[in-house]
Amino acid sequence: MTTAEAPATIRLPADVQAAAPRGWKRYRARTFYAFVSPWLAGFILLTLFPLGYALWLSFTNFDGMTGHYRYVGLDNYADIFRDPDALHSLGRTALYTVITVPAAIIIGTALAVLVNRPVRGRAAFRAIFYLPAVVPIVASALCFKMLFDSDFGLLNHIFNQLHLQTIQWLADPLVFWVMIAMTLWGVGGTMIISLAGLQGIPGELIEAAKVDGANAWRAFTRISLPLLSPIILFEVITGVIASIQAFIPALLLSIQSGTVAATSVPQSNYLFMIHAYAQYFDYGRFGYASALLWALFILILVLTAVIFKVSGRAVFYESGPDEAAQAAAGQAAGEQATGGKVER
Amino acid sequence: MSGRFSRRRLLAGAATAAGVAAAASACGSGGGNTTLTIMGNHPSEITDSDVAGFSKKYPNVKIKFVTNSVQLLTAMFAAGDPPDIIRDQGVQNTPYLVKRDLAEDLAPYFARSTVLTDDKIAAVDDVWRYDGSVQGKGPRYGLAKDYSQDAMLWCNLRVFEKAGVEPPDPTKPMSYEEMLDVAKRITRRKGAQYSAYGLYPPFDVSLSAGVINMVTSAGGSVFNDDYTKVDFSAPEAKSALQWYLDYADAQVGPTVARPLAAGAAAAFFADQLGMVGYGYWFGGEVASNPQVQDHVRFVTAPQFGSTRTSPCFAAVGHWIPKTSQHKQEAWNFFEWYFGEQPAIDRAKSGWGLPGITAMNADLPEVKPYQKQALDVQNAEFSHMSVLKYSPYVAFTALDASLSQAFVKGLESGLSAGRLADLVNDTLNPLLEQGKELVA
Repeated sequence: MTTAEAPATIRLPADVQAAAPRGWKRYRARTFYAFVSPWLAGFILLTLFPLGYALWLSFTNFDGMTGHYRYVGLDNYADIFRDPDALHSLGRTALYTVITVPAAIIIGTALAVLVNRPVRGRAAFRAIFYLPAVVPIVASALCFKMLFDSDFGLLNHIFNQLHLQTIQWLADPLVFWVMIAMTLWGVGGTMIISLAGLQGIPGELIEAAKVDGANAWRAFTRISLPLLSPIILFEVITGVIASIQAFIPALLLSIQSGTVAATSVPQSNYLFMIHAYAQYFDYGRFGYASALLWALFILILVLTAVIFKVSGRAVFYESGPDEAAQAAAGQAAGEQATGGKVER
Repeated sequence: MSGRFSRRRLLAGAATAAGVAAAASACGSGGGNTTLTIMGNHPSEITDSDVAGFSKKYPNVKIKFVTNSVQLLTAMFAAGDPPDIIRDQGVQNTPYLVKRDLAEDLAPYFARSTVLTDDKIAAVDDVWRYDGSVQGKGPRYGLAKDYSQDAMLWCNLRVFEKAGVEPPDPTKPMSYEEMLDVAKRITRRKGAQYSAYGLYPPFDVSLSAGVINMVTSAGGSVFNDDYTKVDFSAPEAKSALQWYLDYADAQVGPTVARPLAAGAAAAFFADQLGMVGYGYWFGGEVASNPQVQDHVRFVTAPQFGSTRTSPCFAAVGHWIPKTSQHKQEAWNFFEWYFGEQPAIDRAKSGWGLPGITAMNADLPEVKPYQKQALDVQNAEFSHMSVLKYSPYVAFTALDASLSQAFVKGLESGLSAGRLADLVNDTLNPLLEQGKELVA
């Protein structure tokens, strides 16, 4: 574009030019800060400050009550690698994450596909599947305890009626699977997110693929799933973060209370956050426990970055309205026509 | 009048509303000039009636309760605004608090008091004294609201009856081995499902207190002379750990790795638990469960070693932090709560023995079970013993390390020696650090 082609300056009528912004518009900047300030204050006071404070504590030998603590450098971080309980708890957390995250996504997406179909009572099914996700976890844990209690639980009662050997469900090692079941009980949350994703996929794409010969499975795997992949990535990342930080299910399924609540959690449910909690409030090792949490924070950051990196090619981002989706539909139909082989 | 709100008017209105709300809030506090913050169990231990009586006596003091929680307490101390009165266990925590310079020395207050004088205070309250090296000597830092000799047992005679087993003699102590043997004979179970547990041993108040009591009875100590190290590998301590493993192996009652979901009391009152290791205070629970009152028996503490011991595991009471802003008001509450009507009401309820000796006369003995319990308790006083705790580590760490070791031991089949090593390895670095912190 040359200067000659530049548009002429638009001249506003004098009365419009003279009119200064009125009302709140005069204070756009101030209004912006006024609206974001509650969040900003909350972020600084409830996130940034505790993070910084915990970081500082992680370099000290503070015990929670004594004012005469001192700087210990990286000793607390080095202790993590010498602490067999920390490593054990990290292993159990990894196992819990590896099981619950894929299971929740697969079950949640499968349920979403089911309740996305035009079946009678669809709304009721959606509500039923989602309901456990809104039940407070304390109530869920209570129900699970009542179900699995060895003396009074429903399951052992049934076993008794069937003349089968009764089982200690809430003790090691079975209690781990009870915790997994309790976690997956709230899979309705994942279902709702996947359902929202499914409903965002234009129906005509599926129709087009079917017209071109794709069966339901191929239409799902070649159209729905790619278009759902950003949602699945979101579920993976939030699921991994939540699982690594899991604490309440393990604590609630442990029956002890008081000073031994955390340390009497069965070994198979001894998750990393349980260990950190025990170090803080049972052992009074505030410095070390803060180092554990900072190490966990760094681990989560690294894992998230790795997931983003690894998933880069698998996640299908729409580049423009309908373009990518149409490309996916075309690809699905093409693969169907060529027996699943993509011609390039 | 203009129908539009200007910003100025809006702000002025908001400011006025805030002022009115603040004024209303002040009026709503009952007109008190001072707010006394208590970290305690309200209304179960400090009742509404206790609060009402205090407010009548001191109308200018308003009482605010905060949840009894170590997390909250730590946060309040970190913020420099601790509660004015804090609930705690005198047996385990007095040396710890004093060494950290957290508790107010109450000697001057006691010296001035006409309500809480030395001649009225029970011997057990000495666990709230510490002179910097010996617990039981030096200034007082708190008082017990009530106490029990917590290694004693309550027996459900119906469980014994069903098993055809003679219940224990109320005043002759069983050995721990005998107690385990009795428990085996009265336990009824099918697979993992119990219709009657034999024993809930005396570890519920504090796991470490239960173990330390056993070790003391056997003539040992888990701590060295200056409380800077533990040695659970010593023969007396190792045999106490071994007893717990044997008890778990016998499957006669709940353990840390397999606790009772509904708690010991519920099982006891449902005639599904034969012996429960609780002190006199459990009589208060029995009072609320009339269905068992005709078949309960209170018996003396079992004896682990050669020495007969029957300690108080907790002596739960309250202390005043050194940094409290309202020490005088807190002390006024102390006098009211520990020495006046609330203390009499507590004694009458049977929920523990009073910290004021004269109030022993108020203990309930109307019903046969109450009389039996009181007779046994009166005989037990002469066997009262004191547990020793280190000032360098919180008792929660002792409880936690023992429970963690037991869970590992029971789930992985570890020996008592290995458990001892685990506890030593956990606690000794903490003790070393604690010593450095309070030096």
